[in-house]
Amino acid sequence: MNHERLDSILEKSFRTEPGYRLSDGFAQKVTSRIVAKNQWLTDIYEYFYLSVLVLFLIGIAAGTYYLVNKEVLLQIFKFISGNAWQVAMIALILNFIFFADRVLLRLLFRSLPQPYQRRGERVEIL
Amino acid sequence: MQHFSTDCCQTSSMDDAELINQILNGNMNAFTFLVSRYQKLVVHITGRLIQRQDELEDVCQEVFLKVYQNLGKYRNECKLSTWIATIAYNTSINYLRKFKKGDEVNPDDSAALRNLTDLNSDDYEKTDLHRYIREQIENLPVQYRTVLTLYHLEEFSYQEIEQITGMPEGTVKSYLFRAKALLKEKLKFVVDNNSLKTVKEINNES
Repeated sequence: MNHERLDSILEKSFRTEPGYRLSDGFAQKVTSRIVAKNQWLTDIYEYFYLSVLVLFLIGIAAGTYYLVNKEVLLQIFKFISGNAWQVAMIALILNFIFFADRVLLRLLFRSLPQPYQRRGERVEIL
Repeated sequence: MQHFSTDCCQTSSMDDAELINQILNGNMNAFTFLVSRYQKLVVHITGRLIQRQDELEDVCQEVFLKVYQNLGKYRNECKLSTWIATIAYNTSINYLRKFKKGDEVNPDDSAALRNLTDLNSDDYEKTDLHRYIREQIENLPVQYRTVLTLYHLEEFSYQEIEQITGMPEGTVKSYLFRAKALLKEKLKFVVDNNSLKTVKEINNES
């Protein structure tokens, strides 16, 4: 009889929730983390596709000039090869500005606390 | 860009299949609802295994990230709760392997018994027995804690526990029996000492 009572006390204790807790809004936090992660990947892909598109358009323009006016294209190549270092630096800076605009600033913006993220909303300072 | 629909009221009555369908179609509200529905299950398993409140939220987040990433691979072969519990168990075990190197593989009952705190028969009448037992569960070897939580708290069947942990059904039964025997060993004076009145009182209280 006593053993049965002890069994029932044990069973009851086993079914009692342990005291572990998660913060309020845990589900929303997980979802936001996933959305942010997915958005970061989307931004990277977008940047990559746009870069390829720009290079493609430059290629088409070069091809057109090659067919229409070969002289101009040769002059451009000559200029680039003569100022390779400067041209490379400008290309690098432009590329970085483009990357910052498409990826870094968006990432930075998403990592800001919630009130700063509401664009166009006036934030009252008490 | 993820699609955030506003139909949160509709999600509350969804079954698991519908919920998965919605999530796979990009409805992140449905995923939030899935997390709310299963966070208790995950926190019980993860909490009992890793036993660190400060790391618990990170590990639980990792579990739900894995759930989201692998949801497309889920094939109705088992219940969604079993599948999520498997991910929670594996994530917690990996965490333990990484950060608690000395955690035992084959539980030694005599060592486990030494780990349990003694409850003096003098103090016994003043002690909340349920609380004492819960504390002792935390001192049991990890396998015992796992099967106790899955079987008694989450009410999984032996087969489901076998699916979740990879332990054979016989081992699960043995661990359950041994865990109970260890706790009974510590509480045997309750039975021996004619303290039945107090036990009765505790039973009535709870």
